[in-house]
Amino acid sequence: MTPTDPDRLRGRAWRPAVALALAGLACALLLGGLSGWFLSAVALAGLGGTALVFDFHTPGALVRLFAIGRTAARYGERLAGHRAALSGQILRRAALFRAMAAAPATRAAGWQLGDQGRLTDFLDDVDDLDFAPLRVGLPRLTLLAGAAGLGLATLVVVPLALLPIAAATVAIVAALTRFARGAEAALAARRAALRDGAAGLGAAHAAVVALRAEGRWTDALGPAAAAMARADARLLALRVAQARIEAGLSLAGPLAGATVLAVAWAGGARSGDLLAPVFLAFAWLAFAETLLGAARQALAAGRRRIATAALAQWTGGPGDKVSGVSGAPGAPDAPAPALPDRLETHVAARAPDGRSLAPAPVAIVLERGRPLVLTGASGSGKTSLLKQLAGWTGDEALALGGSRLGAPARRALVQLCLHDAAILADSLRANLFAPGLADAQLWEAIDAVEMRPRVEAAGGLDGWISQEMLSLGEAQRLNLARVWLGGCPVVALDEPLEHLDRAQGARIVARLLARLADRHVVIASHQPLDVQPQRRLDLSPPA
Amino acid sequence: MRRRAAAAAAAPPDAFDRAIAGAHRRLLGLTVLRVLARLAFLATAAVCVGRMVTAGAVPAGPLALALAALAATAAAGWRADLSQARAESALAARLRAVFGAGLAEMAPRAVQAIPGGRLVAAAQRHPEAVAALAVGHRTARAMMAVGPMLAAAAIAVVSWPAALAVLGLTPVMILFFVLVGGTIRSAADAQEAAFGHLAGQFADRVRVLPTILGNHGLAREEAVLERRMGDYADRTMRVLRLAFLNAGIIDFFASLSIALLAVFLGLGHLGLARIPGFSDLALWQSLTLLMLAPEYYAPFRRFAEQYHAKAEGDAALAALRDILATPGGAAPSANLPADLPAALPADLPNRGLVAVTGPSGSGKTTLLRALAARMEPAPAWVSTEIHLPAGTLAAALNWPAPPGDPARLATVAGPLGLLDPALLPGGLAAPVAAGGGNLSGGQRLRIALARALLSGRTVLADEPTAKLDPATAAAARTALAGLARDRLVIVATHDPALAALADRRIACPPATGEAA
Repeated sequence: MTPTDPDRLRGRAWRPAVALALAGLACALLLGGLSGWFLSAVALAGLGGTALVFDFHTPGALVRLFAIGRTAARYGERLAGHRAALSGQILRRAALFRAMAAAPATRAAGWQLGDQGRLTDFLDDVDDLDFAPLRVGLPRLTLLAGAAGLGLATLVVVPLALLPIAAATVAIVAALTRFARGAEAALAARRAALRDGAAGLGAAHAAVVALRAEGRWTDALGPAAAAMARADARLLALRVAQARIEAGLSLAGPLAGATVLAVAWAGGARSGDLLAPVFLAFAWLAFAETLLGAARQALAAGRRRIATAALAQWTGGPGDKVSGVSGAPGAPDAPAPALPDRLETHVAARAPDGRSLAPAPVAIVLERGRPLVLTGASGSGKTSLLKQLAGWTGDEALALGGSRLGAPARRALVQLCLHDAAILADSLRANLFAPGLADAQLWEAIDAVEMRPRVEAAGGLDGWISQEMLSLGEAQRLNLARVWLGGCPVVALDEPLEHLDRAQGARIVARLLARLADRHVVIASHQPLDVQPQRRLDLSPPA
Repeated sequence: MRRRAAAAAAAPPDAFDRAIAGAHRRLLGLTVLRVLARLAFLATAAVCVGRMVTAGAVPAGPLALALAALAATAAAGWRADLSQARAESALAARLRAVFGAGLAEMAPRAVQAIPGGRLVAAAQRHPEAVAALAVGHRTARAMMAVGPMLAAAAIAVVSWPAALAVLGLTPVMILFFVLVGGTIRSAADAQEAAFGHLAGQFADRVRVLPTILGNHGLAREEAVLERRMGDYADRTMRVLRLAFLNAGIIDFFASLSIALLAVFLGLGHLGLARIPGFSDLALWQSLTLLMLAPEYYAPFRRFAEQYHAKAEGDAALAALRDILATPGGAAPSANLPADLPAALPADLPNRGLVAVTGPSGSGKTTLLRALAARMEPAPAWVSTEIHLPAGTLAAALNWPAPPGDPARLATVAGPLGLLDPALLPGGLAAPVAAGGGNLSGGQRLRIALARALLSGRTVLADEPTAKLDPATAAAARTALAGLARDRLVIVATHDPALAALADRRIACPPATGEAA
């Protein structure tokens, strides 16, 4: 199963839910039909004087059976459906997570899903796919089965009634198709408007101090509010269309029942001959509720298509192959080639968008115990170069230590400490990414980054922490503790001093570099780093 | 959570409450109309079928009535749906306006302290959830009282003992309802307390994915994630098993009443039993009873189907209130610092560079904000955190005015290094993401400087050279000194090199309590 495959009720997990849904529908239709038939039959028997020979018990027992069966099957269907959806959800999300980990975009510039707003959109998509079988597949199957069953029964009992019913069905399907098409477009437009609104609001929020001082807070919020109002208008238009189509759908069941009776009546059926048409008419009436769900299914189907398209960027078209990443990134103990003390290579520096940043390849020298510090104006490509070295961007192989290493091989060698590294919602221990190490070693790292009091306050190594609980500086220090504990032969640090108090930052980085004296270390930093010895490389473009 | 809801109920109504009040009333009227029309349709349809079967005639009057009532049901339903959609949409817009007004009242620092994602979600999604609760859900709740009574009254017209029988089942059903409801809530609370932290694990691991990759933690995190999602799904199923009982109970009673009615009415028709109210009825009467009985339960069912709307709406409203209650946000005085530093100068020159210096937390930014509030016209604010709408560099330079003459923009932007294709390719047409996400801090500061130049206004600059590399910082210092030649430039700064350029220095004493 591919992660975005909406899993249209295939697979064993869905069998109980499908069976129960069909059983529940059958019970509901039979209950409606049988009770109408039963009352009519006993009334005729009572009037005709055959009351005493009427078999009362069989239909009475069947009515009870269908009543209880409907209740039990509906409950079971909900339960089985949710169980199947949840187990599908786990498989699909795990697969999606693997695909995202392997996707090049994850390692490229700026992680887009680090932003809460985008992450929420993404989760909506994932959720829409997880529950599509419950919102589209299963109810649609039930609807079609019910319509087919009743259509067949109509063909047997009152064949001529099928003509108007079939004509109405064609009209309904056409209207639903049109509605679904419009709904999908409206949903996509609404989504775009919401995204505009979120981006505008986010931008104004980040600049609130400046905007207030300039008296322009309202100016800045205007476009965001307008975008959200546009999104609201789309939703409202969609709901108006849905109300219209549901009003039409609500007529379908009763009118089908009326048609069956009218055609039978016109065909000359009276009293006893009307019993079968009455059964059928009441069954059509009981089907009305199921029919009403068709509009909601069309809407959910539109959502599913949009979500599938949105998530395709991760799971990929055919060209989006996961080249050579498999296995390597997840294995901390992957056998690393022994590196000589001094490594020299040349990197054609590129910006995240692929622009060349330097006329000639940049010469990089990595020496054990002598960190390479990349400096340069912001925008000069320090982070990009770091990521290229670490094998995160660019496909070219680099000559390192006598062998040419492709990007996957470099990824296995390098621990990359991102400047916007995040905190996992998990225990502090899990956040250190050092599962095999003893507590004493973990505490040593925590002391090195001066976090002991904070960690103790948060409940020690097994205390649960999250991003919101830590300040930016605390998160950065924890991030450096991960490097302290890491075992990779090459360490790349991006802006290790960011968010840290100057004196504290200097202390921590000095300790960290002493610890990493036997490794190859490369650091990108916009402020000068006061450590010795060091090798500096200025990336500023020549003036 | 429930304790907080109770506290909110005791509090005096706030702007949100006032916006919500009465939003569902029109909808309630239309919904009652729909129920009445439906009852009329079912009853008249029963009359038609009954007469057709037993009397061999189609009664013209009831037939016309039935068709009219069916049309009325669809029309009332349509209007009710429209009314609900419009009421919820209008209410969401009102709630968003209330929220926006609340934000405008808050101190900028408090607004800044709100996590961006929470703010966006609050403006984008929460108003809708609250509106669904205040309109749709509230109407469904009110209909639980009105709907069954209307159905019972219709049943009583045909047979009052039958109405009594249906009513008699209700307390039993409600008892079950309450018992199950309580069990569901405690199970859900227990689930939340024990496993709530596992709910967002997938979202969390996606959010931190690059960090996991950078630290070579993928294999382990994959396994942890899969296990935790499995655990959470198992726990969720346990709660759902109970939660679905709610709808199940209503289904059960609705089915039971149909089955019982069918049997009693059948016995009555056959003359096998004499039950008051169930005997000696015409077929149309018994069919009416049979068709009306489920309507008695329909409102309960509709309400039970909305169990999630309640939880979502309550949570959304609480989140909106929480944001507006961000510490430091409520005090209107926070907009203007209560105790302005004593050093606040009364006489500021018309031109020149004034530096406000002092240790962190001494109130430099606060002083700048206080100055800004007094200035007419408002000043130009220079920092790395300026507002950048999505668009082009040209649009950003002269925001909120239209970009204007490109040549003029170029003469300002060029010397500031903004047109260097090595740093920002595209020149004046270079795309700028909302918030300047594609720009560095240095580039944002340069845009702020260009904007200040173009505006001709007094310049207030908050730590303009912090977080910049040495070359960019030097360029910023030069530009600020240049601006100060023909207008007033006030900078709050830690940077000794910038302070050295100033014509005048104002020292903020160390903090006496209020944080800057």
